[in-house]
Amino acid sequence: MRKLAVMVFLLLGFGFAQKVHLMWSGAITGPTSDAGKYYAQGVEDYCKYANEEGKTGGLTIVCETRDDQYNNANTQRNFEEALERGDPAFLGYSTGGTLQLKPLIQEVGMTYIPASYHIGNIDPPDNDYLFLPIVSYSEQVIALLEYIAKEKPGAKVALAVHPSPFGRAPVPDAKKAAKELGIEIVEVQEMAKGLDYTATLKRFANKGVEYIVYQNVAGPVATMIKDAKRLGLKIKHAAAHYAGGPDLLRLAGDAAEGVIWVTSYFMPYEDAAGAAFVKKLGERYKRPADTIESVHYPSGMLAAAIAIEAIKRAHEAGKPVTGDAGREAVYAEMLKLSFDPGLAVGPVTYTKEDHVGVDHMRVLRAEGGKFVPITEPFQSKLFRKVHYGK
Amino acid sequence: MRNPWAQTGNYKTSYRQDTAIFATYLEMLSLWALIAVLLALPFFLSRPQMFVLDLILVYALAVLGLNITTGYAGLINIGQAAFVGVGAYTAALLAPSLPFWLTVPIGGLAAAVAGGIVGIPSLRIKHLYLAIATLAFQIIFEWTVGHSTLLKQGGAISMPRVEFLGYRVGYKNHYYFWYFVILFVVVVLAFAFRNLLRTRFGRALVAVRDNDRAADAMGMHPGLTKIFAFALGGFFAGIAGGLYAYLSRAVVIEDYMLPVSIKFLAMAIVGGLGSLVGSFLGPAFLVLLDLNMEDLANWLKSLGLSYAGVDIASAMRPLTFGLVIVLFLIFEPRGLANWWRLVRNFFRNWPFKY
Repeated sequence: MRKLAVMVFLLLGFGFAQKVHLMWSGAITGPTSDAGKYYAQGVEDYCKYANEEGKTGGLTIVCETRDDQYNNANTQRNFEEALERGDPAFLGYSTGGTLQLKPLIQEVGMTYIPASYHIGNIDPPDNDYLFLPIVSYSEQVIALLEYIAKEKPGAKVALAVHPSPFGRAPVPDAKKAAKELGIEIVEVQEMAKGLDYTATLKRFANKGVEYIVYQNVAGPVATMIKDAKRLGLKIKHAAAHYAGGPDLLRLAGDAAEGVIWVTSYFMPYEDAAGAAFVKKLGERYKRPADTIESVHYPSGMLAAAIAIEAIKRAHEAGKPVTGDAGREAVYAEMLKLSFDPGLAVGPVTYTKEDHVGVDHMRVLRAEGGKFVPITEPFQSKLFRKVHYGK
Repeated sequence: MRNPWAQTGNYKTSYRQDTAIFATYLEMLSLWALIAVLLALPFFLSRPQMFVLDLILVYALAVLGLNITTGYAGLINIGQAAFVGVGAYTAALLAPSLPFWLTVPIGGLAAAVAGGIVGIPSLRIKHLYLAIATLAFQIIFEWTVGHSTLLKQGGAISMPRVEFLGYRVGYKNHYYFWYFVILFVVVVLAFAFRNLLRTRFGRALVAVRDNDRAADAMGMHPGLTKIFAFALGGFFAGIAGGLYAYLSRAVVIEDYMLPVSIKFLAMAIVGGLGSLVGSFLGPAFLVLLDLNMEDLANWLKSLGLSYAGVDIASAMRPLTFGLVIVLFLIFEPRGLANWWRLVRNFFRNWPFKY
């Protein structure tokens, strides 16, 4: 009887718990949806888990994943709906959509956590309310250059970037870092959707390129890696977060062997608490294997975890968590947020000056159809110097 | 006529009547009623809904331009989004130093110049080959923006907040203010579009489309007419671009890329090529269809009918978009404008059958 009473009380409590909406807007269909669909599932699952396991400070977080089809107008409409409803934070997705919304985000003071790790998101102007979950693309590429400089001092490197702000963002910083590291960037090649990269690769080979560093999506990288293998070139391949991962292994097959990749996330087959947690959650919510293996699944979880933690802390501090005051309260919590959800290789820490959550990353290498870590978690030594001049 | 308000049928006794903008007084009255409804709408709609309405009107401007180039002049244009982009980037570059009522028209003029240049190949080539030339312009535009530091390499160029007659626009009244601006521009340009066919320049467009040699023989200049079509279509697109830049608060290359051009073409086809009403019905139909499909998809998703990881619900949106275009092409190539025509004729002839 007592148990029943407690259950009824809990159920009533759940029913009357204050509801806070949290929206994610990204590409479940359309361009980049191969990443976006898993990211959305990560957001949904972490949200369910946080509600079920009481990690919301007594609130009911209602997560809503919206398919904006990689269309900025849809993102803007979704953001406006969230704003109108009084959501305290917003989970975004694309580089273009985030950059476009920056002035509005600044004006309304809404905490915004994108899936795009473009450094321009957190650079001035209008950058107060934007928070990257992990290190920026620029820092990832510089970390790869640092690794290459250690492995092969004076190496000749080509950058193969996506023809978009997403792809081009790290190029200026990478050039400065290469100078500092004593390695040579012989060419910056924009590439996307190519069916054959023979000519590009032959040109790279003629110029003596030893490494290709990719700031791209997995599709074109897989094509280039396969072409390099077919041509018998000895060029090594190094990929930033969205250019590599299990998606690349699936697309490139054997050709991906030896590719190095930098990311802040664990692989599901690793012997790490974070990896086990992701796997457990995937199985709990009956996600198929490709979801659990995708690096975008924990990425979505991390973004949701950060927003939920800030909302929870604001609520626990007795502050409102919806409307104008809610946005202010959650933002104030974001500026002092420091916690470790265990989903990445380092803790999430933000301050007024530092809007990068997880400051660490690892280099992994494809071995036997899996990405295996070959470094401990580290921070780029040069990034701050070349980007901020510090 | 004893009582013009009771006019029915399609009885005209002069050329002047034949070229009149409004065939009947009732038509004129219904247009004023529509404008009154449009002016009243902001009092009933929320900010996100206003954004959707603004978006439909801006798309309608771009589709009006496309209907001049493709609908009237028969020149297939797969680069309309690039013309919109020229207007948007021009407005964005000028916005820090000029007021919006100057930057937007200048954006339109810049796009008209671009249209005139893109139209030059139409002097020698037509049909599919010309379509490919416009596609080339789209690609060149994307490449140029992507490699121009002035244009932030396709990254965002923020648009400043505007002030008009002492009225400061903030985020709360943003969509409402721009709605009235866009509505004013739409009404002016829609009248211009409607009047175009009453001028010799407009009739030359249709004559050149139907048979450029015959038009040449009748004293028209097919080459200049085609360039005029591209320039005018570009002007409409450029105006749409300038307005969209202010509406979205920033200019980002992704809003002006090839898929958007295809979307404009789809809107023109679904609405009805060469039709004024179709230029509004097409964008409204596709934008609202997408929104409703999103709601339906979310509802289906909430029922949990699909296997985890297989998101059938979300796939409905792109599938529906494709299906609608194919169905219109097969069953109603004259687009929604034809349905509108049938309904209008029914009421115009009522109580008679024809």
